[in-house]
Amino acid sequence: MIKATAYAGTLLALSLASIPATAQVQDYEVITAPAMIAPEATSAVLTEITLAGDRQIAVGDYGLVISRDSADVEWQQALVDTSVFLTAVDFADDLKGWAVGHHGVIMHTSDGGRTWQRQLDGFQYIELQQLYFAAQVERLTEALDNDELSEDERYELELELETAEFQLENAEFAVQEGPTKPFLDVLVLSEQVILVSGAYGSLLRSIDGGVTWNLLDAAVENPDNFHLNALEGGEEFTFLAGEAGQLFRSNDQGTSWETLESPYYGSYFGLHIDAKDRLWVFGLRGNIFVSDDQGNSFRQIKLEDPVNINAAADAPNGGVYLVGNAGALAWVNAAGEIIETRHGSGAALTDLVINNDQSLTLVGQLGVLTLPAFAQ
Amino acid sequence: MSDQLEKSKSVFLERLLFNFRPIWLVIFALITVVLAWNASQVRPEASFTKMIPTNHEFIQNYFDHRNDLAGMGNVIRIAVETTEGNIFTADFQQTLRDVTDEVFFIPGVDRSGLRSIWTPNVRWSEVTEEGFVGGPVIPDTWDASDESLEQLRTNVLRSGELGNLVASNFKSALIFVPLNEINPDTGEALDYQDFSQKLETLIRDKYESDTVKIHITGFAKVIGDLIEGAEQVSLFFLLAIVITLLMLFWYSRCWRSAFAVLSCSIIAVVWQLGIIELIGSGINPYSMLVPFLVFAIGVSHGVQIINAIANNCVDGHDKLKASRLAFRGLYIAGLTALVSDAIGFTTLMVIDIAVIQELAIAASIGVAVVILTNLGLLPILMSYIGVSATGTKYTAQARAESHPVLAWFSHFSRPKWAYSALFLALIGLTWGLVYSQQMKIGDLDAGAPELRPDSRYNLDNEFIVDNYSSSTDIFVVMAETAPSQCIAYDNLELMDRFSWHMQNTPGVQDVKSVVYVAKMGSFGLNEGNLKWFSLNRNQYVLNANTSRTPSGLINPDCSMAPIIIYLNDHKAETLKTVVASVREFNSNYQEDGLKLLMAAGNSGIEAATNMVIEDAQYKMLLWVYGVVIVLVFIAFRSIPTVICIVLPLALTTVMSQGLMAVLGIGVKVATLPVIALGVGIGVDYGIYIYTKIKEALEQGMSLDDSYKYALENTGKAVGFTGLTLAIGVATWIFSPIKFQADMGILLTFMFLWNMLGALILIPALARLFVKAGGKKLM
Repeated sequence: MIKATAYAGTLLALSLASIPATAQVQDYEVITAPAMIAPEATSAVLTEITLAGDRQIAVGDYGLVISRDSADVEWQQALVDTSVFLTAVDFADDLKGWAVGHHGVIMHTSDGGRTWQRQLDGFQYIELQQLYFAAQVERLTEALDNDELSEDERYELELELETAEFQLENAEFAVQEGPTKPFLDVLVLSEQVILVSGAYGSLLRSIDGGVTWNLLDAAVENPDNFHLNALEGGEEFTFLAGEAGQLFRSNDQGTSWETLESPYYGSYFGLHIDAKDRLWVFGLRGNIFVSDDQGNSFRQIKLEDPVNINAAADAPNGGVYLVGNAGALAWVNAAGEIIETRHGSGAALTDLVINNDQSLTLVGQLGVLTLPAFAQ
Repeated sequence: MSDQLEKSKSVFLERLLFNFRPIWLVIFALITVVLAWNASQVRPEASFTKMIPTNHEFIQNYFDHRNDLAGMGNVIRIAVETTEGNIFTADFQQTLRDVTDEVFFIPGVDRSGLRSIWTPNVRWSEVTEEGFVGGPVIPDTWDASDESLEQLRTNVLRSGELGNLVASNFKSALIFVPLNEINPDTGEALDYQDFSQKLETLIRDKYESDTVKIHITGFAKVIGDLIEGAEQVSLFFLLAIVITLLMLFWYSRCWRSAFAVLSCSIIAVVWQLGIIELIGSGINPYSMLVPFLVFAIGVSHGVQIINAIANNCVDGHDKLKASRLAFRGLYIAGLTALVSDAIGFTTLMVIDIAVIQELAIAASIGVAVVILTNLGLLPILMSYIGVSATGTKYTAQARAESHPVLAWFSHFSRPKWAYSALFLALIGLTWGLVYSQQMKIGDLDAGAPELRPDSRYNLDNEFIVDNYSSSTDIFVVMAETAPSQCIAYDNLELMDRFSWHMQNTPGVQDVKSVVYVAKMGSFGLNEGNLKWFSLNRNQYVLNANTSRTPSGLINPDCSMAPIIIYLNDHKAETLKTVVASVREFNSNYQEDGLKLLMAAGNSGIEAATNMVIEDAQYKMLLWVYGVVIVLVFIAFRSIPTVICIVLPLALTTVMSQGLMAVLGIGVKVATLPVIALGVGIGVDYGIYIYTKIKEALEQGMSLDDSYKYALENTGKAVGFTGLTLAIGVATWIFSPIKFQADMGILLTFMFLWNMLGALILIPALARLFVKAGGKKLM
């Protein structure tokens, strides 16, 4: 009886998780293992939620991607060709989207998020890094060969070379260790141009819809290799924010980056551009900064609740909703007043979307949560 | 009958017994004194390992890692509840502080692991620009002022202990008390009973008041309550003795014989207890049933003896002669019945669970002892004291008139009554078959299933389950690796996959292990950014992330990490699903150097026990019926006779299974032996009655007359036996221990129903065979 059940269970697992027919996965590799079909998908750790047209799509732990057409129907789990922890998702239109995650994985969908294929994995990423940093070392060595360099220029180049050599060493070491750098955000500028940022100063871009990926680490002035936590695109500029108050702006879709004067030395976890084209940047300990002039100057909004703020979304009745750790929820209304509350669960909240009936769908530590209406 | 007996020669055994009466009395007295002293040393014990199938693969795996798992699960939780306001008052905090201090000093408590908001190891922490900041939850400046209380509230919220050490409704706080199984100072094993009593006197009695309530749960408390409850059972034994004495007098109308039977039966119990103490087998809450059974069996056979003696007295024999004749007439029947009882009990040895085997041994010894005391000592005693004149007179009177109840039973050999009875039996059988399909394996109630649902313990458990986020049904899978490899990336990654696989198994509430610690560590060390809630291939990063791993989640040489699976309940179906799910994972993923082994935790052990029981259930039925069929066939050499005797027993078995389903009693360690006991003793009735029917048929009587003859000779004794046995075990229904009550209900049902089955269905079935033609019945 038990044998029969176990056998039936095996068959079921095979058909559901589409494990290869041999079924004896000798060395389990999280990058290539397809995501398990999971009844508990909506209660796993989820990191981001976005809209593809009207469709809500959330990503998270164990290669989970779940989606639904509206807030009043059941979530569907997508077929995903990886099991890594996914950290971010963004769409070009109703159909084409990208998701990124740990172990250097970039996933792509062209059917509105129902099936996902790997476009890049960490092993390929290490190869890219080796090539990229080797080229950097070569370029900088050549540049230093120039006798007409001023003292300052030489010093700058030497610093850059040091960084590039360090990164090249890391990449070579990573060949044995395997991919260790997680990607932390993705920004889809068009169905051709996609930007990905990640840990230890990782920055990548594809300009051919993800067929090839190019590294842009050196385009950002980030000598300490701080994590690049968030990307956001506005009408004119693209913004990048990270650990220890790192804040950058690009006007050429990421080719070159200008370092902004940061109003804060703590880490930023998110960026948001609201309906009035204002830039919001937020992070540790309830620190929120708003800029009316594309990041040239900021004013601070300080929450009473000193917890991490992770994400923001435009409120349907004006202003912006923000969510953060320990269930923190805040509404900065159109008049600039702050209304704070906490989600009863106390879970870290990492992202949100507004449903048609103005209720909130939240994601985070406890998966999908809802809030019927924001506490007034 | 007695005429025939008188003519027969005295047998060897009879001469051996009656020619040396004084010597025998001295020998019996000496043995009784020695064994009584031994019996007085018997203490009920509730040894954990004896209740589980120690040879099962799961248990073997558990034993291999037992030392590393020792601290885990052996925890007491004490919830201190306030009935007015909330916990943030100076008075309440003082009480909580006192209770925490008091618990700290109880021997057996692992002081370093003790946690409450009043222990310094419970801290709050927060991520700042500079990294982590934090402190103890009780502010350093504590002075019980309103400011202090407000600060405490803030710290509690920041500590992440809501739902763990503080209830979400702020009406109670928890003290988490891990125990040392072995006292590190003295090397002595923890005395559960003593510990449990200390909790009662030092904590509950001392601190509970109109406004403060104490709730205590944990394995040590269950064991403590179990042993305490078991001791109450001795009161039931006194009750059974008193009732039996009254019944004996009602039956014999002679105080002398009543006391003689009672004394011999009690001596049988004393011997049985003394012998198991001598052979070191011990008595547990399950085998505690045996003294009741031995007593009841002793009484029922004793009744046959004094019945025969009284009859012989009526026939005019003196007390010695009457006793000798009684022995001569009964020793073969008695021996046969007792031997069949003993063999029935020994079939329980096929079940590989020590408490059941101990029960089988104890019961077999008990039955052997009854042979000596009630077939040997009792006739000797009676040959000295004799049956009183009133008793003899009553017996003479009873013999002269037919008892109305017996007259009613005599109808069942007539065709109309026989067929109606068989038709009703068929309905009963159908009912039993239908309902027995719903019979469940294992324990069905929440909390500690050993105790009653409304027991203090289970109410406390309910309180803690309702207010705190911890399931008490824990299934542990042991992730075994090479030494120092338990947190190697490859192993952790597969353990993470396994955790997610189990999390998606129906019935699983939560899964926790060092993997969760590693992921939480990564989340915390990366400034509380949830996007880092993952494993990293860099071993140094992993080591840092797991540096705060609580001691129970990896063993000292890092070769084993328990994966703790919290379940919704411990129903057999849930456990089966979980086991199948683990096996499914193991067949799909095999990582070199990592083994995911089942099982520890209370639910893991219960899963193994259920498997053994499910398997043993049919094996045991096969054995017990096989033995009974063979014994009956040897005795009567006729297949129709076997059918007449065995079918009523089978009906009882099926119906008691149906009853179990209806009453929500699962097949478990406690109830599994009941069927063997029921069948083993139940067959006696059939043997007694059929012997007499056969005797009469052989003399050429009709079936109706034969059955009347059987009823007159043994009907009353059979009825009385059924009632005494039922009363002996029925007192158990009131036991504070749930499984003892379940055993009591089922055995009472089986003893009564087997008696009725024998009195009604044997003649009815016999009628069928007579109709079908012939003399095959002889």
